[in-house]
Amino acid sequence: MAEAIRRGRQLAMVFDLNKCIGCQTCSVACKVLWTRGEGQEYQWWIMVNTMPGRGHPRDWDQMGGGYRDGVPQPGRLPKREEWGGGWEFNYDEVFYGGKGEEAYLRPLGPQPQWGPNWDEDQGAGEYPNAYFFYLPRMCNHCTRPACLEACPRGALYKREDGIVLRDEGRCRGYQFCLEACPYKRIFFNFSRRISQQCIMCFPRVEKGVAPACVRQCPGRAVWFGYLDDEEGPVYKLVRQWQVALPLRPDFGTEPNVFYIPPLAPYRYNPDGTLDRENPRIPTEYLERLFGPKVRDALATLRSEMEKTRNGGHSELMDILIAYRWQDMFRPFDRDPVDTSWS
Amino acid sequence: MRLQLALRTLLDPFRPQWERVPEEVVPLMRTPLHLQPTRYIRATWADRPYGVVRAVQVRVAFSSSHIFFRLQWPDAQPNMDYGDGTVFPDAAAVLFPINGDAPLLTMGSPEAPVNAWYWRADLSRPQNLVAHGLGTVAEAEGPELWAHAIWRDGRWSLVLARALGEGGATAVTLVPGMVAKVAFAVWEGENQERAGIKSFSGIWRELEIGQGRG
Repeated sequence: MAEAIRRGRQLAMVFDLNKCIGCQTCSVACKVLWTRGEGQEYQWWIMVNTMPGRGHPRDWDQMGGGYRDGVPQPGRLPKREEWGGGWEFNYDEVFYGGKGEEAYLRPLGPQPQWGPNWDEDQGAGEYPNAYFFYLPRMCNHCTRPACLEACPRGALYKREDGIVLRDEGRCRGYQFCLEACPYKRIFFNFSRRISQQCIMCFPRVEKGVAPACVRQCPGRAVWFGYLDDEEGPVYKLVRQWQVALPLRPDFGTEPNVFYIPPLAPYRYNPDGTLDRENPRIPTEYLERLFGPKVRDALATLRSEMEKTRNGGHSELMDILIAYRWQDMFRPFDRDPVDTSWS
Repeated sequence: MRLQLALRTLLDPFRPQWERVPEEVVPLMRTPLHLQPTRYIRATWADRPYGVVRAVQVRVAFSSSHIFFRLQWPDAQPNMDYGDGTVFPDAAAVLFPINGDAPLLTMGSPEAPVNAWYWRADLSRPQNLVAHGLGTVAEAEGPELWAHAIWRDGRWSLVLARALGEGGATAVTLVPGMVAKVAFAVWEGENQERAGIKSFSGIWRELEIGQGRG
């Protein structure tokens, strides 16, 4: 299996959770481009969830998989109801049924109990110290892809550019990949009886066009590029400034999607004064998500913000503000409209 | 007309004609854990029972042009599809070496492929599969296969059929008078059995290819 993991370069992404507004434009950009086929109705290769939350599929982080001390960990398959989504609605009844305002839009069949963004904006904490943030989740195109290692058919491979890709012709729908993926970002296509996942828009990337989720983000919240491109923002955020961290590094797969952890306002004391010692999002919670390095990352973010507040200049803040949109994904800044797709 | 009649008749596992065909109970065992192709599968199934179907009742019948395998095995709950997402469709297969001495344990080898007639409860047609070793199963060209399966009273009854004759490069040749080697496998979908996680007959069994009159 080792030869399937070629040690080439690695394409990577950084999401700034301080800028993500949970608008799902990335989710929809991906949906429109890649998951409109049969059996893909419930598939959302990228999905933004509210944190703290149970996510998609529900409680995905408790389904096992990944590695502990280098040993593959058993994982379980999510139930269809734990994914939810892909519902059919009673459009005919509402729009053509002649029932006026008596008919309202509702999913057909059993009432859904979960879906791709079910617990949106619920978050945690009590007023006035309630908190939440958004977390876009997609295939991490891991350096040690548990999916790839689990597949008995060699249907998954890692390209020279680090993209983890599935040969659908080799896939027979065994779903060991989905069991083994600790992030549960693989979707079984119940119609085609194969598994599917994010392809990092490789046909775009090969033409110098950034992935759709990256390019469509209206919040300038995501960077894209080679992890070893020392001039690029991804390298600077991950390696140089070390403010971008992988999700659940304890799963052992070495993800290549990174996150700038969310800063939060101070807590209110019961008497209405500000508790300047404690951020509203508990650091322990962020530590569980992003590992122990989150403390240093947050400290760096705060001190660089402070620097600019005091009239100084911060290269880190310049990157995070993203004055020039194209700089976020150079050299993959070709406009898809000006690109030949034949 | 005759051929169609024979096919239609013997494809039904409950036709009285099957009563006259001798039956052999073929014991099944789980596939060896150490031969599972990935570390993940070996790690996750080390402490999990699989190969839960322990025997298959086999009858083989011949028409003038076709060979029919009737397989019956117990299954309390049929799995017709992927269910709630945590089960797999029940499946069974009859396996042959394509030429001579293909190893059964490794599903053939690069030089000596094996041919499987693969039935799965969710597929409308059986598949003609070829394997050149573990993890290499692929659909391939071959003579047309027929299957008819019925689950009744806690038991699957499946008939798999194919025309006698040459198979070509990717299917077994079965001509009257020859002695073929054959093996069997069953996957219990409820137990998430799929791929190499299955019960199988352990060794090749010899089968004299006959020819019926009808």
